[in-house]
Amino acid sequence: MNAAAPHLYRKLRLAGGLTIAGLLVEFFSLLRIHPLAFLTFMFVGGAFLVAGIALYLYSIIATPAPHDNHPS
Amino acid sequence: MLIGLTIFAVAWLIARPAITVPRGGKQLTFVILFLLPILTASMGAGEQMRRSEQTQFCLSCHHMEPYGKSLLVDDATYLPAAHYQNGRIPRDQACYTCHTDYVMYGTAITKIRGLRHVYIQYFGNTSPPLHLYSPYSNRECLHCHAGSRSFEEGIVHSADPSIMAAIKANETSCMSSGCHQTVHDVATLPQQKFWEPPQ
Repeated sequence: MNAAAPHLYRKLRLAGGLTIAGLLVEFFSLLRIHPLAFLTFMFVGGAFLVAGIALYLYSIIATPAPHDNHPS
Repeated sequence: MLIGLTIFAVAWLIARPAITVPRGGKQLTFVILFLLPILTASMGAGEQMRRSEQTQFCLSCHHMEPYGKSLLVDDATYLPAAHYQNGRIPRDQACYTCHTDYVMYGTAITKIRGLRHVYIQYFGNTSPPLHLYSPYSNRECLHCHAGSRSFEEGIVHSADPSIMAAIKANETSCMSSGCHQTVHDVATLPQQKFWEPPQ
């Protein structure tokens, strides 16, 4: 296993957790027709989702590729 | 359903992060953690935008209750009531149909105003009658009425060519005194009779 893998897994889990939190917020906000439900969807759910996606993208660019650990 | 599917897929990925190691796993991870959430959120946002145009959405704020009630006034001189009761506007989008700006980005402008409305609802101090941010533009009326026979050939509208020109140029408001000046007029609601829509 790549030495960076546990670090990557932790970031992916966190990104996934944030994404699930965002999706759950969006799901529950769709149950009501109300301005607060609209705002919750856009800003709370949206913030979790953006954070999750950003963390995922960061994790794939910040984690060194396996060959980086074995310079020739 | 798509939300449920996405949650399930993300949860599965969290439980088995090792699948992200092979090339195919990386591509699958990209779909699950990037494309699917964006697709789900976009569809949800579209649904929320559609819902925000509904009469029920606007009237869910306490300040708007009398304005919703004014749609049921049993008096044809009440402009919104006449439109609502005679089906001249879609009843489920009664507020939005007349109070959106029919210009480019009008929907976005209306939504931004809506954010201010929510702020005022919870943190402001206001009571009816509420006032528009700017005088009501004839453009919103003409969006539907321009070209219609009852408007173009109306006795008052066509009495003098200058009247029609002034209306279309927004120089004479449709709600001018003596024309269609009775709009929501919530102050007189206690004295009004109300129409009961058929169930």
